[in-house]
Amino acid sequence: MEISGKRYKAFIDRQAAIKHQYSPKQAGKQHSKGKLTAQERISLLFDNDTFEEIDAFVTPADQPVEFGKVERSFGDGVIVGHGKVNGRLVFSYAQDFTIMGGSLGIVHAKKIAKIQEMAMKMGAPIIALIDSGGARIQEGVASLSGYASIFQNIINSSGIIPQISVIMGPAAGGAVYSPALTDFVFMVNHTSYMFVTGPNVVKEVLNEDVTFEALGGAEIHARKSGVAHMIYDDEENTILALKKFLSYLPSNNVENPPVVADDGSVPDINEKLINIVPDDPNKAYDVKDVINQIADRNSFLEISELFGASLVTGFARLKGKTIGIIANQPKVLAGVLDIDSSTKGARFIRFCDAFNIPLLTLEDVPGFLPGIDQEHAGIIRHGAKLLFAYSEATVPKITVILRKAYGGAYIVMNSKSLGGDFVFAWPTAEIAVMGPDGAVAILYRKELAESKDPAELKKELVKKYRDKIANPFIADESGYIDEVIDPATTRKKIVSAFEALNNKWIKVPSRKHGNMPL
Amino acid sequence: MTNNKLQVKKLYSLTSEKKKYSFSLPLKHSIRIGKREYEVKLKSDEKFGTYILWKNRKYPVEIVRSRQNKYEILFNDISYTFTVETPFSLQRMKVLNSKMGKAEKEDIKAPMPGKIIDVLVREGSSVLRGEPVVILEAMKMQNEILSPVNGVVTKVVARVNTNVMKDDLLVEIKL
Repeated sequence: MEISGKRYKAFIDRQAAIKHQYSPKQAGKQHSKGKLTAQERISLLFDNDTFEEIDAFVTPADQPVEFGKVERSFGDGVIVGHGKVNGRLVFSYAQDFTIMGGSLGIVHAKKIAKIQEMAMKMGAPIIALIDSGGARIQEGVASLSGYASIFQNIINSSGIIPQISVIMGPAAGGAVYSPALTDFVFMVNHTSYMFVTGPNVVKEVLNEDVTFEALGGAEIHARKSGVAHMIYDDEENTILALKKFLSYLPSNNVENPPVVADDGSVPDINEKLINIVPDDPNKAYDVKDVINQIADRNSFLEISELFGASLVTGFARLKGKTIGIIANQPKVLAGVLDIDSSTKGARFIRFCDAFNIPLLTLEDVPGFLPGIDQEHAGIIRHGAKLLFAYSEATVPKITVILRKAYGGAYIVMNSKSLGGDFVFAWPTAEIAVMGPDGAVAILYRKELAESKDPAELKKELVKKYRDKIANPFIADESGYIDEVIDPATTRKKIVSAFEALNNKWIKVPSRKHGNMPL
Repeated sequence: MTNNKLQVKKLYSLTSEKKKYSFSLPLKHSIRIGKREYEVKLKSDEKFGTYILWKNRKYPVEIVRSRQNKYEILFNDISYTFTVETPFSLQRMKVLNSKMGKAEKEDIKAPMPGKIIDVLVREGSSVLRGEPVVILEAMKMQNEILSPVNGVVTKVVARVNTNVMKDDLLVEIKL
C-alpha cells in the first residue's frame, strides 16, 4: 500500500503546514493590542473539544489583475464551523485579523455563506466573531458581491434562528451592515469600532477631527446610537457573557426557550415588593429592584442598558422559564417614553415574539416625552413602532401597573384593550388620561383663574382627582384591568398567569407582512 | 481545527476601588492577615441568607447586582463594588491604562434636562461613591444624582432653582 502511505504523508504534511501558519508571533501582535486571536476566541466560546472546523484549507481566489499583495494562506482569513456551547449546537465564524487584516475576499465570503446556510437548515444559532479590515480591495467587485450574499443570508434567517454579532476589532464601511442586520450586537470596550465612514473620510469630507473611539467606539454605540446591545471591558468576559446570554434563547423559532431549575430562593409571596414604590408620586425608584424581587434570583440580564435608559429591557427567568421584561424606569427621566426607548422596546418585543419568549411589562409611565426635539425627530412614528410591536406580538403578554399609567403611553404599554392577556395593577396605580396637575388645569381653567386662592383650590382639586379618577379601582370595576393585586403576591400571580397562557395560540391571517412604521 | 488553546493560568485577581487581591482557583477558604492564616467559610441558610463565617461570627453578604465580571455586594450593610479579572484581562487593562493615561478628575454632568432642587455638597467636601450630590427634578420627578467616585469636590457649578440642559456640568470631583 505504497500509494496510500504517500497520500497519508501528504496529509500529515498539510496538517503541519496549517499549524505552522498560526505563529506565536502573530498571536503576540494581537495580544499586545489587548485582543485575542480568532482561534483563542473560538476555544473560549465552545465547550472543550467540540468545535469542528470546515473549509480550513481553502485558499484565496486568484486576483483578476495584479495589484497589491495577496498572502497565499490557508482558510482565507476566517475560521468557520460548528460546536457545542453549554451542550447546545451553535454555528460560528471568526474572522482572523492576523491574515490579511481579516479582509473579506470572495472565498472568505463563501465560507461564511456556507456556514450561515447550514445554521439555518439545522435550526441553530449563529455567532459572528468580527475582526476585519473590510472588503479586500485587491478582489474588487467579487468581494462586494461576497458581502451581499452574507447580508441576504442574514435576512433569510432573520426570525428563524438567533443571529448574534460580536465586534472584536474594526468593522467599517459596508461591513457594518452585517452586524446591524443581526438580532444582537456585542462590542468590546476600547478595542472594537463600527462606522460607515472612518475618521479619515470624516476629516476629508467635513473637515471634522474625530477619534476612532469617539466616532464609533463601543461606548458610543451602547449609549448614543443604540447599535451595540451589550458591551464589556475585555474579550474573555464578552464571550462568557455571550454564553450566558445564549442560555436564555431557544435554538430556533419553532422551539421553546430552554428551562433551567429554579433554586426557589425568591419566594412566591414576597413582602419586599411592598416598600419599593414610594407613596409620593414625585419620588423616583429603581425598577430593577422590582424586577429582582419578581424574577428568579440573579436571573435578570439587561439588554441595551445604556441606550434609551428610561425603558429597561432584558431577559429573566420565572420558575426557570425565560421571559422578556419591558419596564419603565422612573429613575431615568421619570420613565417617559422617548424616541430611543420606544425603538429599543419595539425591537426587543419583536425578538421575543419571533422566538416564543413570553413578555412581562412593568408599567410606571408618565407619558411620552414632550418637546420640540422629540416632536421634530418623529416621536409620533417612533412611538408607533412600540405600539405596533406590542399589538402584533402573539406570545403571552402580561402587564403589571406599578404606579403611573397615563394617556397614550398607558395604551401603548400592553394595555388590556391592545391585546394584553392579563393586566394587573398594584394599589398604588394611577390610571387616567393625564396626571392630576394637567387634568385640573384643563378642566378648571376658568375656576382657577377666578379663584381668590388658586393654589389652595388646585391642591383640593388634585386631591379629588387622585381619589376619584387616578386610581386602579375604577378600571378594575369596569373590567379594563383584570385585578388589583397585593404587590407581595406579584410573583405568584404572574407565574400562574403565564401557566394559564402556556398554550396560547392566535391564528394570524395570511399576508405577506404588516407595514410597520419604520 | 488545529488546537491552540488559550493558556489560562490559575491566578485570578479581584479589583476593588484602588485595592487589588489575587487568588487562585479552586478557592481556598482562608485569608491571610499579617503572617497568620484564618479560615473563612461562605455559608447560607434560610434564617440568615448568605453569610461569611469568620471566627465563629456571621457576617451577612448579599449580591445586589452582577454584570458579568462586575459585582456589587452588600457586606455588613456596606456596599462594595469590584471586578474579577483573569490574567489576560488584567494584562489588557494595564496596557490600555498605560495608553490612555489615568483620569484625575470626574465631571458629574446632568443626565437629563431639568431643574436643580438641591445641591448637597460644597467645594472642599469629600464624597463617597454612591453619595447623592445634587437633586435634579425632571418630568416632575426628583432624581438623586450620585457621585460615581470617591474624591473631593473641587467645583460646584449647579445652582439651586436653575434649569440645566442634558450634559451640563454640575460638579467637579478630584480623585
